[in-house]
Amino acid sequence: MTVELFKLRSTRTVWILLGAAQLLIIGGISGLMLNGSNLNSPDVLRKAVSHLGLVSLFTLVLGILAVAGEYRHRTITDAYLAEPRRARVILAKLAAYTVTGLGFGVVGLITALATTAIWLAAKGYPVDLSTVDIWRTLVGGVLWNGAFAAIGVGVGALITNLIGAVAAALAWLALIEGIVAQLVGGIKNWLPFALGSALDGLPTVTDGPPQWQAGLALAAYAAAFAIAAVLTSTRRDVG
Amino acid sequence: MTDISVRGLTKRFGAVTAVRDLTFDVGPGAVTGFLGPNGAGKTTTLRMLLGLVRPTAGTATIGGRRYADLAHPRRVVGAVLEATGFHPGRTGRDHLRILARRTGVPDRRVGEVLDEVALTGEAGRRVGGYSLGQRQRLGLAAALLGDPEVLVLDEPANGLDPAGVAWLRKLLRGRAAEGRTVLVSSHVLAEVAQTVDRVVIVSGGALRYAGAPHADLESAFLELTS
Repeated sequence: MTVELFKLRSTRTVWILLGAAQLLIIGGISGLMLNGSNLNSPDVLRKAVSHLGLVSLFTLVLGILAVAGEYRHRTITDAYLAEPRRARVILAKLAAYTVTGLGFGVVGLITALATTAIWLAAKGYPVDLSTVDIWRTLVGGVLWNGAFAAIGVGVGALITNLIGAVAAALAWLALIEGIVAQLVGGIKNWLPFALGSALDGLPTVTDGPPQWQAGLALAAYAAAFAIAAVLTSTRRDVG
Repeated sequence: MTDISVRGLTKRFGAVTAVRDLTFDVGPGAVTGFLGPNGAGKTTTLRMLLGLVRPTAGTATIGGRRYADLAHPRRVVGAVLEATGFHPGRTGRDHLRILARRTGVPDRRVGEVLDEVALTGEAGRRVGGYSLGQRQRLGLAAALLGDPEVLVLDEPANGLDPAGVAWLRKLLRGRAAEGRTVLVSSHVLAEVAQTVDRVVIVSGGALRYAGAPHADLESAFLELTS
């Protein structure tokens, strides 16, 4: 796992994604502050900081890069030559990228809180961090980032074509989950993005499961992807 | 303990049989050339030997063990499979540092192998800017990290200039003289003829010849693989 973290740091990809994620947070919160009415509502602070959960799009892509990126650059050969027990390689990546995803969440949390505080202060509203709801959203947002990084590792190990994996993941989030949601009725709140939204308390969520159930369900998705990733990776020819 | 043994090795990809009931041995203290035209199944055979491709039938072992069963595989076998296995945004030195950790050798080995392949001056640059020959050297440096008893090289001379080929020959001869096992695939006969002690010739996925190289390797090769 330390090798995986070192590998991550040795290229610029992770820093570019981290920077882009902060821009997304700052842009999203600023948009809310510029357009939003009733900024004195106690819920506006929570709405604003919930933007940190959207960074999970970036941690998902980062996770996909863990395995599919190694296939793209054919460095997967070296990884498997050094550790022929491939399950260990996949599990090390899973651990390293989950930790990194949580790290993205924590950095995003700081950016979201700072951006929100600056806007509210500039407009003369108080910043009240004493409510439980704020902290549930903050912690939920961080966990969403970690879970999507783990799911990304699984997706990238299943679809080793990097472009294909990223396209499939983004298409799911942007389009397919919405279509599936209309087809499956009540289960729609248990699809990955819906679960992340519930975990993070996104303002778009109206009737999701309680936060703790959303967290567990998202962890179950990550585990299912991990199992599938290990099973396929151990059998696949690397040519 | 470092003999390579291939027994009845077969690989089918769907309807295509890439390697067909291949049996041969590679002993220590010699450079063995693994020869055949493009598409003969050389790379697939080497990948099966290294546990990257699952054989349809048969076994390939190193010192009596499958690659996946070696306790410290990279300290037993150094492999160079292709010149493209690098992240272009990573420096050569970082690439080797990652592999040093994975191989289980100290960081100072990185400096040693960089010197050995004469790449120290380029080590701080991103691999994306390397020439093909420099990538080959980096791949070779990675293979040498664990000071392995067995070297397995797939077309290592690709992209090397004449001085590079001469340097590579000296390195391989030196390893063999130390009693180590060297298996090197190639389809460029001229460069191989001066380097190898033994040859294994394959064509169409099947063995054509194993033994001492012929005096006229080229005509023998063409006859065996036609």
